[in-house]
Amino acid sequence: MNIRNVEKSTWIFIIIGLLLFIVPFIITGRSMQFIIIQIFIFAIFAMSYDILLGFTGIISFGHVMFFGIGAYSTAIVMDRMDATVLSFFVAILVAVVIASIVSFIVGALTLRLKSHFYAMLTLALAGLFLVAAEKWRSLTGGNDGFTFRLPEILRDSHHLYVLCLVSLVLLFFGLRRFTKSPFGRVLMAIRENEARTESLGYKVLHYKVIASVAAGVVASIAGVLYALSLRFVNTGVFATDLTIDVLLMTIIGGVGTLVGPILGAGLVELAHHWLSGLSDVHWIFERWIILYGTVYILVVIFFPLGIIGTLQSKFMNRSIKGLRNSRKTVGK
Amino acid sequence: MDLIIGLTVNGLATGMLIFLLAAGLTLIFGLMSVLNFAHGGLFIWGAYTGVWSFQMTGSFIVGIIIAIITGLLLGLVTERLIIRPVYGNHIQQILITLGFMLVLQEFIKVVFGPDQKAVFPPEILQGSFLVGDIVLIKYRLFIIAVGLLIFIVSSFILKRTRVGLIVRAGVMNKEMVQSLGINIKLVFMLVFMVGSGMAALSGILHAVYSGVIYAEMGLEFSILAFIVVVIGGMGSFSGSLFAAILVGLAQAFMAYYVPALSLAVNMLLMTVVLIFRPQGLFGKG
Repeated sequence: MNIRNVEKSTWIFIIIGLLLFIVPFIITGRSMQFIIIQIFIFAIFAMSYDILLGFTGIISFGHVMFFGIGAYSTAIVMDRMDATVLSFFVAILVAVVIASIVSFIVGALTLRLKSHFYAMLTLALAGLFLVAAEKWRSLTGGNDGFTFRLPEILRDSHHLYVLCLVSLVLLFFGLRRFTKSPFGRVLMAIRENEARTESLGYKVLHYKVIASVAAGVVASIAGVLYALSLRFVNTGVFATDLTIDVLLMTIIGGVGTLVGPILGAGLVELAHHWLSGLSDVHWIFERWIILYGTVYILVVIFFPLGIIGTLQSKFMNRSIKGLRNSRKTVGK
Repeated sequence: MDLIIGLTVNGLATGMLIFLLAAGLTLIFGLMSVLNFAHGGLFIWGAYTGVWSFQMTGSFIVGIIIAIITGLLLGLVTERLIIRPVYGNHIQQILITLGFMLVLQEFIKVVFGPDQKAVFPPEILQGSFLVGDIVLIKYRLFIIAVGLLIFIVSSFILKRTRVGLIVRAGVMNKEMVQSLGINIKLVFMLVFMVGSGMAALSGILHAVYSGVIYAEMGLEFSILAFIVVVIGGMGSFSGSLFAAILVGLAQAFMAYYVPALSLAVNMLLMTVVLIFRPQGLFGKG
């Protein structure tokens, strides 16, 4: 690959990624580092959601099930095996395999239906996983959850930071490549006009299933990291609130941009942190979800493109127009 | 035998409660192709305001009336503020109604407090009848009666009156109805309000039935209603009654014989229906 062909934006992202490696030397407070780690993890989760919502135009209300699968497989594997790096890799493998099987089955069963059904069914399925995690106490420890030990190397907060950042950067570039590939273009075509894509001869269902498997696998990796960062897991990893959080991150940041969800994850996590800190000031801040929900509704009505999307359409008008012109010439 | 009858009555009562919730969902979907994820929010607002006024006045009838009024008003507000700006855009509709669901749920905690509340049925509906060896709990029979009454009245309105005719025609082809000079937006609003009122009624009845109310109840219970709408077929009114009773009975029997599987059995039912008849048992095309 010729280095000159690399886009300008790629260089910017690489530089930002490298700069982030220095951050833990500047911010040494453990709680702040922990928050940044959480932001990375939720950024991964939100990016995986963006593949569904932003690129393929599928709404899932049960995306949290893959996150939960990742978290629980890590916790259970680490708990049953020795706390070594090897068992960590086994945990990732187990998480990815289970998540891809589940997302394949769910996708193959329900993606042929209209968007409403998929949203409802995934909501119900995630509910089923939550109940299963509560009831299957011998495996999951029920509602209380359980703690587990980590291998020596991952106990250090700095190492964990690097691990999460590296995963985020790799997954970001991987997913970016994925969405810019011919395959990703077909996904966007499905988002824009499903019937037309079908009539052009693409098997829409296959593309959608593969997209949902990819999103499920990435979400499960976010779950793995989440469990690692807490060294604890309980049924909260299957809660619908998490799906809502991730929806909010994706939508506020900008759907279909991949960078947007990362930005959204940062904003939402920081806002969450500050608002729950404010609950000592006034009890209304304990109910910060009201504020969240209101912001979310307003964003959906007035800024459906999100922060990055709105900026892009404002400043990069030229490129969109250029695209239209090139389409016209092709048409001639 | 008495066990089976007891479980059947149980299942029918649960089924009727789910039906009241699902009927609104399915009509709103059929007419406006809006899937209202905030329906569970209307359900809990009905439950809380109903219970509150029931405990204040001591009259269950007042509680039910207040619940229905709350449902109608909230339905009006929801339709105007939340649904109307995003007509025709499915993705936005789904996203926005879920957001509103959250807001409704959290506002319950602000107004009524975040703790669970205990609810007792009114004296006249406490206790049970004894027919031979069979114990029939009064309140469950009451729910079944109310559910059937609502079903019969709404079917009558849908099938025999002019308003019902317009609604049914709107489900089939709303552009045509509009071009015939009927204000379809007004019809949308009315149907939405009636659906919300039914959800609120379901809420207050369920609150007394289960004996306890909490804010998350709405989302949990509306998942059952979604399952029912899928099984019965979106937009089918009698389909939702049939599917609700099916789900209610399946749940009641499973909860007794295999408690761990009581939610799974409904998911299983839905999966089977989706594989063999994706449009639902009573759905068209």
